[in-house]
Amino acid sequence: MNASRSTPTTASAAGLAGTTPDLDRAIARLLAFGTYLAIGLLTLGVLLMAVAGQSPFSPTSFPSFDAARLPQDLAAGRAEGFLWLGLVTVIATPSARVIAALVGYARAGDRRMVAVSLGILAVIATSVAVGLLFSGSAT
Amino acid sequence: MIAGLGLIVGGIAAGVFGSLLGLGGGILIVPLLTLGFGLPLREAVGVSLVSVIVTSSASAGVYLQRHVANLRLGMTLELFTAMGALIGGLLAFLLDERTLAALFAALLVYAAISMLRRPGGATEAEPGAGYVYRIQRSGLGYVGSVGAGVISALLGVGGGLVKVPVMHLVMGVPLRVATATSNLMIGITASASAIIYLFRGGIDPYVAGPVAVGVFLGASVGSRTAHRIDLRVLRTLFVLVLTYTAFEMIRKALLL
Repeated sequence: MNASRSTPTTASAAGLAGTTPDLDRAIARLLAFGTYLAIGLLTLGVLLMAVAGQSPFSPTSFPSFDAARLPQDLAAGRAEGFLWLGLVTVIATPSARVIAALVGYARAGDRRMVAVSLGILAVIATSVAVGLLFSGSAT
Repeated sequence: MIAGLGLIVGGIAAGVFGSLLGLGGGILIVPLLTLGFGLPLREAVGVSLVSVIVTSSASAGVYLQRHVANLRLGMTLELFTAMGALIGGLLAFLLDERTLAALFAALLVYAAISMLRRPGGATEAEPGAGYVYRIQRSGLGYVGSVGAGVISALLGVGGGLVKVPVMHLVMGVPLRVATATSNLMIGITASASAIIYLFRGGIDPYVAGPVAVGVFLGASVGSRTAHRIDLRVLRTLFVLVLTYTAFEMIRKALLL
């Protein structure tokens, strides 16, 4: 964050342009795993919708996300359980990538990127707090 | 059932187009759901945010393995895009549908103009590990990133149309690196606002599920067939689609 308009900085000085091959590979694997898991869950949810003859537009209002109901819906094999779990996996995968990067940068002693990672996670945590605060309050 | 198939097919089309043209697909999914399936704009944005996270996670892994996406740059900028997305996620529930439709129409016109001005073919060699370049005007990059985050959260798009020019033209990042890094950043940017949509009841699981699966399939097909397709023809077709959609969105903004 120290580059300025008048003096363009090199990769090492700016700390932004350099690559981190090992960490990149580990994160790539994590992203692939999260994506395939999410798509698998969503596909299962869509198939259960089809089996149950559930149209996407037939209920006039769709159910809100309720984490407490998730285990029951999954155990009962209800489409919405798998759909919600798939959607949560989609949304959580990028945050898991940031946590993995945080661990990698901490091991490498890269304080700047540890601070950046923690900052991103703080913003995500704020989103969760804001979402919970206004939970189900408007559409 | 037929509606579910329609959503999957629509998602596939958005995924194919998006991947061939280097877009997240949100710019196609929102009009498809609002104009094609009659979904309220805010619900369409919630579904679209989920879909752009899927395309980002799927393609960012590939870009990282090829060392084209820059993780350090992307994470630094996504701190700011996520802040913007948090602000946008809150604003989205304060603005009415007509205002959102007008903003989306403006984005479509901007996207069409950007597409027309884009150079014809690849002009840069693909960078690999150890590739060095200079980053300039970081401050402007951070401000632009906040703006991209706000737009992403309000309109359900990845925000690449803002992030790529900011990184390439303002910060001096090579175009391929900027495009790949923008793709990586979409995940966190969209998830920061998708979380708010999720908890506020702004994501319909019965619509988001089929669309996300379709987009994933479409993006997979698109990335494998990109080299066989004449992108000039596709780009012209896309500009026509964007122009027509912008016209329909303006009508929606005026007549709702």
